[in-house]
Amino acid sequence: MKKIFLICLGLICLLNSTALGAAVKIGLMAPLTGAYASEGADMRRIVELLAEEVNKAGGINGAKVEIVVQDDGSDARTAALAAQRLSTSGVCAVIGTYGSAVTEASQNIYHRNGIVQIATGSTSIRLSEKGYERFFRTCPRDDEQGVVAVDTLHKMGHRQVAILHDSTAYAVGLADEIREGLRKGGRTNLVFYNALQPNERDYSAVLTRLKNTNPEVIFFTGYYPEAAMLRRQMRDMGWNVPMLGGDATNNTDLVKIGGAAAVEGFYFISPPMPADLDSQSAKDFIKSYQDKYKTMPSSIWSVIAGDAFKVLVAAISSVGTEPEKIAVYLHKYLEDFDGLTGKISFDDKGDRVGDLYRLYRVGKQGEFVLQPR
Amino acid sequence: MIVRRLPKPAGIMGLGALFILMLALPRILGPYWTNLLNDMGIYAILGLSLNIILGHCGLFHMGHAAFYAVGAYVTAILSTRFAVPILWTLPLSGLMSGVFALVVARPIIHLRGDYLLVVTIGIVEIVRIALVNNIFGLTGGSNGLLIINPISIFGFQVFSPAHFYYLIWSIGAVTILLFYLLQNSRFGRALNYIKQDELAAEGCGVNTSHYKLASFVLGAVWAGMIGTIFAAKIETVSPQSFSYSESVLLFAIVILGGAGSIPGVLLGAFLITGLPEIFRELQSYRLLFFGAAMVAMMIFRPQGLIPPGRRFYKVRPYLGRFPCGIAARSGARRGISLSASPGYPAGTDAGADAGKPARGPGDMIEEQA
Amino acid sequence: MRRPGEDVPMIEFFQQLSNGLAVGGIYALVALGYTMVYGVLKLINFAHGELFTLGAYLGMTLLLSFGLSGILGPLPAVLIIFAMITGLVGLSGFVLERAAYRPLRQSNRLAAVVSALGASIFLQNAIMLFYGPNYQVYPEETRVTITLSVLGLDIPLMRILLFLASVLLMLAMYLFIHKTKTGTAIRAVATDQGAARLMGIDVNRIISLVFMIGPGLGGAAGMLLGLYYGQIRYDMGTLYGLKAFTAAIIGGIGNIPGAMLGGILLGVAEAMGAAYVAPAWKDAFAFLVLIVILIFRPTGLLGERVADKI
Repeated sequence: MKKIFLICLGLICLLNSTALGAAVKIGLMAPLTGAYASEGADMRRIVELLAEEVNKAGGINGAKVEIVVQDDGSDARTAALAAQRLSTSGVCAVIGTYGSAVTEASQNIYHRNGIVQIATGSTSIRLSEKGYERFFRTCPRDDEQGVVAVDTLHKMGHRQVAILHDSTAYAVGLADEIREGLRKGGRTNLVFYNALQPNERDYSAVLTRLKNTNPEVIFFTGYYPEAAMLRRQMRDMGWNVPMLGGDATNNTDLVKIGGAAAVEGFYFISPPMPADLDSQSAKDFIKSYQDKYKTMPSSIWSVIAGDAFKVLVAAISSVGTEPEKIAVYLHKYLEDFDGLTGKISFDDKGDRVGDLYRLYRVGKQGEFVLQPR
Repeated sequence: MIVRRLPKPAGIMGLGALFILMLALPRILGPYWTNLLNDMGIYAILGLSLNIILGHCGLFHMGHAAFYAVGAYVTAILSTRFAVPILWTLPLSGLMSGVFALVVARPIIHLRGDYLLVVTIGIVEIVRIALVNNIFGLTGGSNGLLIINPISIFGFQVFSPAHFYYLIWSIGAVTILLFYLLQNSRFGRALNYIKQDELAAEGCGVNTSHYKLASFVLGAVWAGMIGTIFAAKIETVSPQSFSYSESVLLFAIVILGGAGSIPGVLLGAFLITGLPEIFRELQSYRLLFFGAAMVAMMIFRPQGLIPPGRRFYKVRPYLGRFPCGIAARSGARRGISLSASPGYPAGTDAGADAGKPARGPGDMIEEQA
Repeated sequence: MRRPGEDVPMIEFFQQLSNGLAVGGIYALVALGYTMVYGVLKLINFAHGELFTLGAYLGMTLLLSFGLSGILGPLPAVLIIFAMITGLVGLSGFVLERAAYRPLRQSNRLAAVVSALGASIFLQNAIMLFYGPNYQVYPEETRVTITLSVLGLDIPLMRILLFLASVLLMLAMYLFIHKTKTGTAIRAVATDQGAARLMGIDVNRIISLVFMIGPGLGGAAGMLLGLYYGQIRYDMGTLYGLKAFTAAIIGGIGNIPGAMLGGILLGVAEAMGAAYVAPAWKDAFAFLVLIVILIFRPTGLLGERVADKI
């Protein structure tokens, strides 16, 4: 009896270990250190939380999901090493990463190693123009946002427009798209087009300059910290002019940094906020995130990383872990997948299809109010 | 005049074994570690080129990334705009980088110590800002430039980590050999003299600003050429790869390894690029440990991990040739060499002579010869 | 809003000058601590920027956690916390010197520089791991948000306070170094450690003291910055450290009024460059000013012309 029991035990152990050996490995390349460290921390939390949920529900077709996390350090060289490392750690697909230039440094490595890559915050147009058939992104592209931005500016009806960017790849791209769009529209007059230097504390010099060009509206294409500081320092100057931002200003820290009083009335276009996600799955997810970490995800981009995980799970559960098959599945068969941030389909280039952008306005208490379309 | 200790059979065997090991490494290690070795190789060569300026000549130069950037961008621009094959741009990258160094270093070469240090930091920042702002419409702004064509050597395309490994480390081997010869040449000795005591060097007829400038240009030429290889490897040349912190790492490689010592710089490059990767499993804690390790290593070996060996000069041919000097020295007989101690004298810039190691007469002999 | 006939370019110029002076005041404050340490030890303390960040973060923690502002009202609370920050960061400076610099005092100077760089990486990541990588903000009620309108210029009151604080601290340091006995001892150690020891000065104690004052000043500057801009981030020390170092060098490193002058010059140069040439090249102007000044005055504006060793 005892013998049989032992043998059974041994068999169970063996089965378990084979089950472990066959775990589905998915890579996550995220900026855990460096300039984007805050985004990376959230990306990791969300993907690990989702993986936990999948595993609790029995895994993908019985196989557990294992997330292999590597730090891309928010810079190209570290990212190349991280990509190399992930490529040899037996992952079939990699989620990540946030910065466009960082993603670009890793793209060719995944491509050559035949691994599926789903970028989550890299909106630079160039990334999906290279013909890499296993490259996808669950975030939108810069040109898409430019169209929405121009549209919004036209609707607001201001004639004297100032555009300010911060020289980062993303912000310049968006600023150029908007400038082009406005020129074609022919209804506005561009009074200012220039850059500030990011990661500073003091923007009074550029603001003073800007003020003297008398714009009716300012479009800032950079990131939330600068947007918040600009608003705060505009208020200190006693200058109140409508201001819009791109999707990189969508972060709850915008209000934290700028202070509700200064940021009130700021508009930004963005994919919907984590709190405004209306599908049931998204609501459930946000709830479990809050239960676990006691806060909201601070930006939409980390939720988009969660979407990358979800489409991968969908693909793997129907076609297995072969990267080729995953890619074909994502290109051809994934239609209107019910993601956290809305419906997801991919086009031939691997870009996400569908209009994701909404207009937001910051309210009195600093809450982000979705504007009716 | 310099004693080159003849390689003994054991040494030859050792070198041969090392060579075979180096050849086999990519197969043993797999692509991730090979790629890390490639990064180490690039940093080692960059470190060696900085070593000329910082280690041999003793100029506090913390802006080496600027020269490296010029090389990488020359390659990227020529390759993307004019479809020039990448390896062809190698000499041009070196040349442009050298010219750039000549132009910027000329007015600042007379600055001393920390003043030079901060100016070189300023130069690397100005270069980075210029690149970000798409200067002359050539650099592609902060997006950088994307290199499409791989390196091809007689039709053989270099793209995998193993290919780059052989390319980088062959260049590395050539660099080590050349810089070894250089360090023991008249030029190398002059640089060392300037480091030990600029005034005395000048007094002995060494044209110090000429030599300082030459060391800058030489270091820059080399860094520019490595920029080409880096550009080919990383494929996206963008300003953030050439930041101030990159210069700081290079600076740390040279000082940590041992200023003026080739094996030291190699070890420094291995540690500075390797440690963050070894600490990778610590995730977000890795840089914390890296910083602590830097402090610990410096305290453990303040002269660098492998400080340069004492320089030996064979004085026999000079015996009796000078009315006063070495002939009078009782020790200077057959088989006994004179030496000069390496390392920075403490407080050179403070103008304090206290604590300066006594100079051996070895260098003097060379200068008079 | 603008009345006709008003001289717009002139007003903008003075507004930009005021912008530059405010930024320069902060640079000067950070540079003061830098230059103190350098003057005595000839050590470029690359970790100074991180100590500055530490001061900003500790200030925020104290303001938020003790509820002092509730009991005492914001102003006394801020002053008390200022004193605490200066002490705490001074203490960190003391520990830093013991751990990372003292073992290297007899070795060559570049070893200490690399050790300082390592310490700076360590501290920056320690702050990130402890406080998180996000921006942190100072409580709104401790910030002075009144803006004065003088002759058509908008000048936030906080800016004037900040500038006054840096001038006062500079004066205090200057008097301390030049008029007190301890100050004399510090100058003696700076000039010649050996001779100072022979004169009965406890060199180790003086160096420890300098390493408390310098970082303490840096910490206070960090908190002032927090109060002025309202938000801080773990990696801001790198930039401010670099700018402060540049400012100290422009003024002649080791020279206290020089640090002030260098800081202000740097701030004004940046503001003017950003306003009248191109905002995106702001830092480039700062370094350009540095290079031009050093070409003509190789030891900075007020730096002593160090005699060449003869």
